[in-house]
Amino acid sequence: MKQEGLKIKKVSKSVNGLRIVDGVTASFLPGRITALIGPNGAGKTTLFHLITGELFPDSGKVLYRGETITCLSPYRVARKGVGRLFQDVRVFENLSVYENVASACYKHKTETPWFPFFRPGRLRTIDQQISEKVEYWLDYVGLAANKDDSGSDLSYGQQKLVAIARLLAGGFSLMLLDEPTSGLNSVMIRKVLSLLEKIVEEDKEKTIVLVEHDMSVVREIADWVYFMNEGKIAFFGRTDHVLGDKEVREIYLGF
Amino acid sequence: MTLLLQLLVNGIVTASLYSLLAVGFGLVYRSMRFFHIAFGAVYILASYAVILMRDTFGFPLSVSIIIGLTIGVVGGVLMDRLVYLPLEKRSAGSGVLLVASLGIYILFVNLIALIFGNEVKILSAGIAPSYTFGPLIISRMQTVQCLMGWLLVTVFWFIIRRNTFMKGVWAMGEKQRLVRVLGLPYEFMRVVVFALSSLFAGAASLLVALDVGIDPHVGMQALLTGAVAVIVGGVDLFWGWIAGAFLLAVLQSLAVWQFSARWNDLVTFGILIITLLFRPQGLFAPIRRREE
Amino acid sequence: MNYILHLLIMIGIYLILGYGLNLVVGFGGLLSLCHAVFYGIGAYATTMLMMKAGWTFLPAVGGAVIITAFFAFLVGFPALKFRGDSFVLVTLGFQMIVFTVLYNWVEMTRGPYGIPGIPRPSVAGYEISSLPAYLLLVAVMLGISVLVLFTLYRSPFGLALKALRDNEMAAEGLGKSPVHLFLFAFVIAGMIASVAGSLYATYVTYIDPTSFTLDESIFLLVILLVGGSGNRLGPLLGTVFMILLPEALRFLGLPDTVAPNVRQVIYGLVLILFMFLRPQGIAGKYSPR
Repeated sequence: MKQEGLKIKKVSKSVNGLRIVDGVTASFLPGRITALIGPNGAGKTTLFHLITGELFPDSGKVLYRGETITCLSPYRVARKGVGRLFQDVRVFENLSVYENVASACYKHKTETPWFPFFRPGRLRTIDQQISEKVEYWLDYVGLAANKDDSGSDLSYGQQKLVAIARLLAGGFSLMLLDEPTSGLNSVMIRKVLSLLEKIVEEDKEKTIVLVEHDMSVVREIADWVYFMNEGKIAFFGRTDHVLGDKEVREIYLGF
Repeated sequence: MTLLLQLLVNGIVTASLYSLLAVGFGLVYRSMRFFHIAFGAVYILASYAVILMRDTFGFPLSVSIIIGLTIGVVGGVLMDRLVYLPLEKRSAGSGVLLVASLGIYILFVNLIALIFGNEVKILSAGIAPSYTFGPLIISRMQTVQCLMGWLLVTVFWFIIRRNTFMKGVWAMGEKQRLVRVLGLPYEFMRVVVFALSSLFAGAASLLVALDVGIDPHVGMQALLTGAVAVIVGGVDLFWGWIAGAFLLAVLQSLAVWQFSARWNDLVTFGILIITLLFRPQGLFAPIRRREE
Repeated sequence: MNYILHLLIMIGIYLILGYGLNLVVGFGGLLSLCHAVFYGIGAYATTMLMMKAGWTFLPAVGGAVIITAFFAFLVGFPALKFRGDSFVLVTLGFQMIVFTVLYNWVEMTRGPYGIPGIPRPSVAGYEISSLPAYLLLVAVMLGISVLVLFTLYRSPFGLALKALRDNEMAAEGLGKSPVHLFLFAFVIAGMIASVAGSLYATYVTYIDPTSFTLDESIFLLVILLVGGSGNRLGPLLGTVFMILLPEALRFLGLPDTVAPNVRQVIYGLVLILFMFLRPQGIAGKYSPR
C-alpha cells in the first residue's frame, strides 16, 4: 500500500474564545520537506500541538498513514511514528548524549519494569543493537565525540543536533521540526540543513515538516510551502511560487 | 438544634482563625507562586517571642504582643531575604525553594523546642469567663478571636481593593516578570508580602496561644490549614480563601459532632484531594479564563 | 557489639526504604511525602497476617507486599495526575489521611496503643531472634531488594523514567507514557517499602502509628535530598549520614532530652545549605527543580 503521509482535515481549535486554528486542511507527503510559514501567531505551533496530541482539536481529523491520530495522547501519537523537535529543543539535561539518543530507541514493550526480569537475554541483545544504532546516528549528526557529555553541557546548536539524532534513532517517519535553525550560527545552520536534505534523500519514507521564519532557509530546502495566516491556510504551492506571490510578501515579508 | 447552632457558632470562630492563616499563606503562595512551608515556623515564632518577652523579660502582655508580632514579621522577612530571594536569584526552581523552606521550618521548630521545651506553653492572661446567649455559650477568648480575625481580614480586603500598591502585589502572581520589567519595586514588594503574611501568621498564632497555649509542633498544622483553605477556595480569588477557611471550619466542626475531633485531618485532606482532583482551580473560582 | 549490630540493622532497613524511594524521587523526579505510609502499611499488614491470620513470616511479607501494592496504586493513581507542588501536597494529604486512619481505627490497628508482642520471624523452621541472625535476614532482604532495584535503575524502564523526569513533554514525544511509567515506579517503591516495614515490625516486635508519621516521610525524603538521588551511591550516603548522625551526637554527650531536637536542627541546616551549595545532594545525579 502506498504510504500517504500526514493528512489534516478541516481541523479547528479555539482557545479562550479565539480561533487559533481555523479549518485547516493540508497534507504532507513522504520524501519531501514541506515548510509551514506565516506571521507570528498564525497558529503554526498550535497546529503542531494538534498533530502531536498536546492539544485536541475542537473539530476535524488528523490522519497519519491512513490512521486517525486525532485525540490520542502524545505518547500514543509518538508510537505511530510522529516525532517532534520542540522550539525550545528540550534535551534531557541530566542524561548523557548517549542516553538522550538511546532513550528514543527502546520500544515501549521493553520499558516495562518486568521486562528485564523475564527477558534478560533478549534485553542484552536489544541493548547491544541500540548501542550500535546510537553510535551510528551520533556519528551521522557529528556528535560522536560528545557521547558522554551531559545534555546541559552542550551548546544550543549541539542540543538541537541531539534532538534531531533522537528523532532519527527513534525511527520516527514523520518529523515535525519547530524552527530547527532559530538561534543557531551560520555554520550550525548549514550543518542542520545539509543534514535534513541528506535525511530525505536517503530515506524516501521520511516526511519532514518544518516551521521556519528564515525565508532563505525555506527557499533552500523546502519543496512545498504552506502559508498560514490567522489560523487558515492562505496559500499552498511550490516554494518559489509561494514565496514569489505578491500577497504573501505583503503580509509576511513586508516588501 | 441547639447543638447544631453551637457548632455553627464555633465554626464561625474557628473560621476567623483559619481565614487569618489562609490570608497569610495565600499572600505568599499567590504572589510568589511557591509553597512557603516556613510559614509554620513564623506561626510559632511569634507566640514564643511573646512568651519570651512576658515570662523572661517581664514586659506586660500588651507590650509583649507588639514585640512578639514584630519579631515574627522580621523573622518572616529575613527568611525571604536570606534564603528565598538569593535562591531565586540563582534561578532555583520551586522544588529547591520548597526543600529550603522545609529546612527553615525544621530548623526553627527545633531551635524553639531546644530553648523552650517540647511541651505546651500556656500564655493565657487568666481564667476566661464566657458569655451565655440563651443556650449558647461563647467564651470571651472566642469572642476576641472572632472579632480580631474578621476585623483583620476585612481591613486587609479593603486595602487590597483600594490601594494601588497592593493591587500591584496581587498582579505579581500572574505576571511576575512583568513586575520587574515595569520597574516596579519587586524586592520591596516581596518584603511587604512576607511582612504581611508573617503578621497574619503571628496574629492567628497569638489568638490561639492565648486561648489554649502553644507547643513547637503546631506550626505544621497551621500551615496546612492555611494551605488547604487557599487551595480549596481557589488561589486566584481572595474571597475564595475566606470561603475555603469557612468551609473547612464548618465541616470540621460537623465531623466533631458526628464522629470525633480525631478525624479532623481526614476531613481536611479529604477535601483537599477531592478539590484538586475535580476542581483544581478551587471550589469557588469560575472556570479559569485568561483576562488579557 | 549489640549496639553496632542494631545500627547495621537499622541502616539496612532504611537502605531498603531509601533505594525504593529513589525510584520515585531520583528517577521520576517527584517529591513524594507519603513513603512512610507504605512502610507503615507493610508493617501493619505483616503484623496482621502473622498475628491474626497465623501466617509465617515469608508468606506474610509476600502478602503485605501485595496489599501495599494495592494501596500504592490507590494513592498513586490520583496523585500522579499532579506534578510539582501539587504532587507534594497531594501525597502529603494521603500521608495525613492514612495516619489518621491508622491512629483512630482502634478496632483494627489498636490505634495509639500499638500492637505489642509481634512474633519474631522464623524462616525454614529457624526462629530468628538473635541480633546477628536478624542482621543476616535484613542483609538478605536488602540484597534482594537492591538486586531488583539496581536492575530497574539500569533498565530501559529506568532510562525512560529519567527522560520523563528531565523533560516530560519531550519524553512523551518519544513515546514514553508518563501515566504508566510513573505509576509503575510509585507502586514498586511502595512494595519495596512494605518489605522494610515487615522487617521493622518483626525486629522491634512492637508497632504503633507514630513510627509512620509525616515526620518519617520527611525523614526519608531528606535521606535522598542529602545523599543525592537518581543513582546508586546517593541513597547509601544519605542513609548512613542520617542514621549515624544522631549516634555521633550521642557520643558527644548530648543528653537524651535535647538530642532529637539538636539532630533535627542539623537536618534543617543541612537542607538549607545543600539547596544553596549542592542541590543535587552529596552524590546525586539530579536536583529537584
